[in-house]
Amino acid sequence: MSQLDDLKTAIKSRLGDLECVIGWEQGYDPLHATPLFIRSEADLDRLIIGPLAVHNLATYLTGWKGKKVGVVVKGCDSKSVIELLNEKLINRDDVVIFGLCCDGVVSQRKIRAALPADPGFVESVEIGADSLKVTVAGQAATLRLDDVRADKCRVCDTPDALVSDFLIGKAHTPAPAPSLKCQDEFEAKSDAEKFAFWQETMGRCIRCYACRNACPMCVCRDYCIATSRDPLWVSQENLPSENMMFQMIHVSHLAGRCTECGECERACPVDIPLMLLRRYMNKQVRDVFQHEAGKALDQTPPLLTFKVEEERINERGW
Amino acid sequence: MRIGVFICHCGSNIAGTVDCPSVAATALTYPDVVFSTDTMYACSEPGQDAIIQAVKDKNLDGVVVASCTPRMHEQTFRRAVERAGLNRYMFEMANIREHVSWIGKTKDLNTGKAAELVRMAVEKLRRNRPLMAKRFETTKRVLVIGGGVAGIQAALDCADGGQEVVLVEREQSIGGKMAKLDKTFPTVDCSSCVLGPKMVDIAQHPNITLYTCAEVESVGGYVGNFQVTVRRKATHVDWTKCTGCGLCVEKCPSRKHPDPFNENLCNAPSINIPFPQAIPKKAAINASSCLMLTKGKCGLCAKVCPVKCIDFEQKDELVNVDVGAIVVATGYDLFDWHKYPQYGEGRYKDVITSLQYERLLSASGPTGGHIKRPSDGKEPKNVVFIQCVGSRDKSVNRPYCSGFCCMYTAKQAILTKDHIPDSQSYVFYMDIRSPGKLYDEFVRRAMEEYGAQYVRGRVAMIYPKGDKLVVRGADTLAGTQVEVPADLVVLAVGAESAKGAVQLGEKLRVAPDQYGFFVESHPKLKPVETNTAGVFLAGACQGPKDIPASVGQGSAAASKVLGLLSKAMLESDPAVSRVNPARCVGCGKCIQTCPFGAIKEIQDRFGNPKAEVIDTVCQGCGICTVTCPQGAIQLEHFTDNQILAEVNALCPPKMFANFE
Repeated sequence: MSQLDDLKTAIKSRLGDLECVIGWEQGYDPLHATPLFIRSEADLDRLIIGPLAVHNLATYLTGWKGKKVGVVVKGCDSKSVIELLNEKLINRDDVVIFGLCCDGVVSQRKIRAALPADPGFVESVEIGADSLKVTVAGQAATLRLDDVRADKCRVCDTPDALVSDFLIGKAHTPAPAPSLKCQDEFEAKSDAEKFAFWQETMGRCIRCYACRNACPMCVCRDYCIATSRDPLWVSQENLPSENMMFQMIHVSHLAGRCTECGECERACPVDIPLMLLRRYMNKQVRDVFQHEAGKALDQTPPLLTFKVEEERINERGW
Repeated sequence: MRIGVFICHCGSNIAGTVDCPSVAATALTYPDVVFSTDTMYACSEPGQDAIIQAVKDKNLDGVVVASCTPRMHEQTFRRAVERAGLNRYMFEMANIREHVSWIGKTKDLNTGKAAELVRMAVEKLRRNRPLMAKRFETTKRVLVIGGGVAGIQAALDCADGGQEVVLVEREQSIGGKMAKLDKTFPTVDCSSCVLGPKMVDIAQHPNITLYTCAEVESVGGYVGNFQVTVRRKATHVDWTKCTGCGLCVEKCPSRKHPDPFNENLCNAPSINIPFPQAIPKKAAINASSCLMLTKGKCGLCAKVCPVKCIDFEQKDELVNVDVGAIVVATGYDLFDWHKYPQYGEGRYKDVITSLQYERLLSASGPTGGHIKRPSDGKEPKNVVFIQCVGSRDKSVNRPYCSGFCCMYTAKQAILTKDHIPDSQSYVFYMDIRSPGKLYDEFVRRAMEEYGAQYVRGRVAMIYPKGDKLVVRGADTLAGTQVEVPADLVVLAVGAESAKGAVQLGEKLRVAPDQYGFFVESHPKLKPVETNTAGVFLAGACQGPKDIPASVGQGSAAASKVLGLLSKAMLESDPAVSRVNPARCVGCGKCIQTCPFGAIKEIQDRFGNPKAEVIDTVCQGCGICTVTCPQGAIQLEHFTDNQILAEVNALCPPKMFANFE
């Protein structure tokens, strides 16, 4: 049986006692997937998995708090689930986790860049072992999967779900790249270059808050401090400085909590490379607190504790 | 709003490098400022009167004083503003002395900076609102944790002051370290003779309830109203019946475990009364070595006990006590000298600690007060004392001076000569630290009248030679190496925080420093207070201390407690955190980070989880406010908006710059 069939069988076995199971289905065209809320066995037919199933469905879990739901997660998504559990934002008893052993997902942005023109509506997609055949307006283009893989998959060391009630697929031996070229290149820039870079990119930001809404760890929703007049941390002016301030708030609220699922960057309609900030902050947290969010159950994020002395911060300097 | 600004000259302290009249003139241009002046000494009586007069004449509803640090005079001005009829929180202070005039030399730069600090204060004040303190009743009872000399003193003083006292001691008897000492410096009077009467007073005082063999299990509540649970550990002896006759101690056949009261120099019976003057003088069974409790046979004590008070079935008992204040007097423990390779790491029996030596000197000790060395029981002739073992040594993470070792070493050298007139003492030391009444004279007496040889230098190694130990060290004054053949080596081990102090601190929400000693509120001006209101410190738990200092601090803590509980009602500081339930999403992050346990989860009427601050427990530290991602929890008087207003006063955002 294929991985998808196994998954369907597993979901079928639990669907009865669940409000719904969150998975993926095909979206408006064969290239784009969209979340699927499975409430009956009939819905199961529309379920898909694979490199196009990009969304981190853990984002929906806090919205279902108090109800019993199932969720299908890739390795990276499972880290978000762990983090939500660790922060007691969801109850383990209320969630049935269908974990996948994931072969990696694509970046729509890279596909768009690799195709000769903006695809618009895609007629068909054929997924091969290491290639992707995309047909647009009768014209087929074959892309190498490796070229259009999401950045996070290149450095992924957790392809298989870390927490699950059902683990589906064959386990991987991950071989992550030590670092991402885009990150290294950015961090090598001078402060002036970085400033100019953000000045330009944050000028594009339209403050649609898609990055926030897609983030599984952003749980304040309607009470987000970025849209609050009291306290007034950020004005509604669409200036690079105010937009950057919002991103800085987002990053610092995620310090020690961000699982690098990349949803913020994926959701951004104006292609702002937000993960540059997230990865940098995560590196600081790793260095100072030796903490990686979502890697293990029963960890407390370092900034959600009170310690008089931090082991790795020498405050008094003997 | 109508704000008045007062720029203080502080004599020439501020006016020397700040153009005060010009700052006052600039302040008049700030929003809502209707009155601004400079004054020679704002804190003086005429200065305060001028503020009060201005509030009345100009109909002000807020006051800014630009002067020294708020730590000096915030209270003064708050009271002045209150006398003028305003709420005390409608006042802001700009520090233009410590932050400006004392640190900058250029007058126009200083003047500019002072004006900006005043602007920040004005912007903050524009967002202040009157705050009212809440009042609440207190429980008139005190918990003293630790029955050493500091705790004993604190308990007696509180009890004499008319308060009920509950004294909790971990060991079987009160007395602490002092009870183990033979004599005390600088008067060489018998330790148990001076401590004994105080211990008896504890037992007999009508206001004192004593729990020994007991530990604090949990602490809840807040200043004036703590709820404490005390665990009374099973002694397997019914203390309501035990008369302390000692028959069971005599007959106990199991005598194989080391005696902690005698610093493990000898063994103790499994049912024991630690020393003759023990308070309470009751026997207790050591469950780990008692034959009946470990192997199920013996029970000799139960047979011989004339009042039948032995109870092998006894269990730990939890006692709940409500108290209004807590005195922590948990003392210290000795540094574990086995970490030092140069002193033999425990291979040589005749290398002992200073406290073990005290037991050898003591008439109630294992040798009946005759100095006999542990290896062969011979009387030592050459005794070498090594100071600073686990003190002033960064390599073992003990950079601090333990303070009392110089003095007790001198005392032990004197006592050695008294006990063995033909003996010779050598003291290896780094510096002699003997500041205190009659202290330095005492050390000189040890050197001059008792002939103790003081060698300034560290010891490199101790090695056995025949039945002696050779101590090799440096004599830095002579610039040579010395070797001293010793019959006995006494290590002046330093003090470290008591075992379990950090864990107790967590329960009490009192922070330990990096060495485990409890941190006082202010090193000079609040030496017995902690940052948790209603919890006070006495004795060596706050840092190494000798007996006079510990007793002094015990009394000081008691006076703080009596002062606190003498008030019928307490006022809570209104500058505490407050939750905006409409914004709170109930994530509980604030509850996790609050170091004082001042936030609890409640449910609103729809059953949603929300955070709620317990006013009286909150210390206003603000950690919750920076933790809350949505700004739902705000520290009154330091809200995000007030602080942002100050920041914006310094670096105005473009929008304000464009539209104002």
